[in-house]
Amino acid sequence: MGVTLTLPRGEGVSVLRLSLFGTSLAIALAACATREPPPADRLVDDLGHPVALAGPARRIVSLSPSTTELLFAIGAGGSVVGRTRWCDFPPEATSVPSVGDGLNPNLELVLSQKPDLVLFYASAANQGVITRLDGLGLAAASVRLDRLDDVPRVARMLGRLTGAAARADALAARFAAELDSARAAGGAATRPGGDQRTQRVALVSWDNPPIIIGAGSFLTDLIELAGAHNVFDDVARSSAQTGIEAIAARDPDMLLVLGEGIPAFAGRPEWQVVPAVRRRHFVAVQGSEFERPGFRSLEAVRTLRAALSRGPVR
Amino acid sequence: MILEARRLVFRYDAAASAALDGVDLTLDAGELLAVVGPNGSGKTTLLRVLLGALEPGQGEVLLLQRPLTTWDRRELARTVGVVVQREEAAFPLRVREAAMMGRYAHMGPLGAPGARDEAAVARALSRCDVTGLAGRWVGTLSGGEWQRVRLARALAQEPRALVLDEPTANLDLAHEMELFELAAHLARADGLAALVVTHHLNLAARYADRLVVLHRGQVAAAGPPPDVMRRDVLEPVFGWPIEVGHWRETPQFIPLKRSESA
Amino acid sequence: MKWLALGGAAVLALLGAVAVGPAGLSTDTATVAIIRDLRVPRALLAFLVGGSLAVTGAGLQALVRNPLADPYLLGLSGGAGLGAVGAIALHLTSPWVLPASAFVGALAAIVVVYRLGVVTGAVLDTRVLLLAGVVVGAFAAAMMGAIMAVSSAAELRNAFVWLLGGFASASWQTVTVFAAYAAVPVTLIYVTARPLDLLTLGEEPATYLGADVERTKRTVYVAASLLTAAAVAVSGTIGFVGLVVPHAVRLLWGHLHRTLLPAAFLLGGTLLVLADALARTLFAPVELPVGVVTAFVGVPVFVLLLRRWPR
Repeated sequence: MGVTLTLPRGEGVSVLRLSLFGTSLAIALAACATREPPPADRLVDDLGHPVALAGPARRIVSLSPSTTELLFAIGAGGSVVGRTRWCDFPPEATSVPSVGDGLNPNLELVLSQKPDLVLFYASAANQGVITRLDGLGLAAASVRLDRLDDVPRVARMLGRLTGAAARADALAARFAAELDSARAAGGAATRPGGDQRTQRVALVSWDNPPIIIGAGSFLTDLIELAGAHNVFDDVARSSAQTGIEAIAARDPDMLLVLGEGIPAFAGRPEWQVVPAVRRRHFVAVQGSEFERPGFRSLEAVRTLRAALSRGPVR
Repeated sequence: MILEARRLVFRYDAAASAALDGVDLTLDAGELLAVVGPNGSGKTTLLRVLLGALEPGQGEVLLLQRPLTTWDRRELARTVGVVVQREEAAFPLRVREAAMMGRYAHMGPLGAPGARDEAAVARALSRCDVTGLAGRWVGTLSGGEWQRVRLARALAQEPRALVLDEPTANLDLAHEMELFELAAHLARADGLAALVVTHHLNLAARYADRLVVLHRGQVAAAGPPPDVMRRDVLEPVFGWPIEVGHWRETPQFIPLKRSESA
Repeated sequence: MKWLALGGAAVLALLGAVAVGPAGLSTDTATVAIIRDLRVPRALLAFLVGGSLAVTGAGLQALVRNPLADPYLLGLSGGAGLGAVGAIALHLTSPWVLPASAFVGALAAIVVVYRLGVVTGAVLDTRVLLLAGVVVGAFAAAMMGAIMAVSSAAELRNAFVWLLGGFASASWQTVTVFAAYAAVPVTLIYVTARPLDLLTLGEEPATYLGADVERTKRTVYVAASLLTAAAVAVSGTIGFVGLVVPHAVRLLWGHLHRTLLPAAFLLGGTLLVLADALARTLFAPVELPVGVVTAFVGVPVFVLLLRRWPR
């Protein structure tokens, strides 16, 4: 579904002028490119589309909080000129102007930042906007950053897009190495009382209707690395609606929630049939590192592991 | 005296003139009364006031010597059967179901129709000669058949009075005649008080015992056909030159062609 | 006999729904607890809500003299949705917030539509009522869109999932409250069965056949609206039941409300129990919103019914 391009007539900006502007910008960039070393080969984004950038991107609009976080982490934060209103880490990111939502964004706001590269979350919903940008001669790239394994790859790609390849590659390699060693180390999170068995958990992100986190989410990666087991890891998607009965039938030892303290639904009569609810076996963690995968994820694993070892919140 | 209306006055909101301006009317058991008049003379308004659907600004209506305002809806429905001019059911119904609705005023809120109800409906269907149509869907009936079914429904109410509003509109000749025959017969043989609003002045003159001619909300003339069917009465009312002829002593009015009028 | 078949189907559906689920069927204490505390109330609630929606649909179809009427025609789902979304946007997070705010939103819609529908002389004009319902529904949808665009509450997405309908929150408490509450409007509508028959002939003929038309319209409107508001509060907006079930019943039982209403209740309840069982089991452990299943089944059934409509 396409996004209609609406431009204020009062300012006399017409689509024609904008495409002329875009084209001249592209020509200027191409001219600039002769002064900077060109990328070794044409970059292809996570959806397989080639990215039409001649040189390092200097004005990036990032339409995904995880991408914004990574850009700042690899040192390209200065090139970020637009972000979504959900991009809140690092703190410096909040001083970048917001262009609204990441999915089906407001094209006018995006273009008003005069970007040379727009980074999208990889989703069919964004296809229409990407096509429009192609038509205007602006570079667009789709980024798939859902699981921890995506982090090094995306960091490297962002490095090449922004001319910060050296730093990005180093950070990516270090992250990948730490990830591997964390996996190799394995080991169940210690349970209160010294019980060595792997804790079985379910992450409930909403109660009515019950929504659980599945294997497609980096949160399951975090759970596994923290030495526990997501009882819903047979669900391929990142999240899914389920029933209280399914949760009760799988009888997790702990219910994991994002937030603080015991959630309000724990008192509801229909939830009491879930043993973990009845016993108030909740573990709560919070922080934006639990909202998106990134370089902070391994620290999130440590936080989670500690929380699981501590036992149920009071 | 079944129905009596005294000095009825009714004005629609924001209307320049009164729709009914001092109308008197009486209706007796066993008689067929025809209410005639041009469009806008107040026939439909009169009907609605007589049936309690509209409240008169002045005057009153007495049904069985009691003011109409003291009657509740169901009691009224058990006493007066009405066939309105146009009716379209929102959902398909079978004829016998439609006819049974005439008994609702006699039935409690939930019980099934009883033997008495079934008998009344059967009788009514047979009076109107539509028994054979009982299983048919109402939407498949012809105009005349639907008219007779509605008349049967009104009869199923076992009323003392029958009120028919333009019952012959959109009917072909045979059905038209049949309807008047039936209405007259019901009045005479069954002792019902029948009131028919009609455009058919001539048929009214031949079947009705009395006529009431309305003109601009007032009664221009009332009485047996010979008293009413006169040039000096009808010409001002209908605004067209007429002659009055006779068919077997019943006066009939003949509108004149331009070339015919002096 | 038709009634026996319908009653039998209802019982079978209930038993079937209670027998299926991720925990299976066995006598160990955990499973018994699940069956007793989750499946049985859930099946019962689905039955009651399905029956209520079907009765409401039939009543409203008679009220507005239109076979296309359904419980959400009069702006109710819009009001409920707006209430739910508004509460979430205000970050009210208590578990009963969604049902309560949806109910309040629906009540507000009922009042506004009623006031708009009453023309001079305290007469309820059903055509104006219809238009008012459409307008209120559209306004509510626009407001919901505005809130979605402006609010930063991440939970809004979940409010929409809830609105799609489901019985996830069913408990014995919910069932008893709903049953006690719904008994009143359902009975009220049933008792108006005869006047509703008359109303389908038109307001004037109905009056002359003994119906108190104004009171009938008011009663049915208020009862139907309150019933729908409670159904939405308890299980979101579940479509098609209120529209399709009365029609299926009309084809088999005719259009007289004395039989139409109870049959619709039984059939609507049966269908919704089955739909919920399907929603729970088709892709277990993932549950579909019930409204999706009813639409999936409802659309082809409706097309079939349309072709057999007698004239």
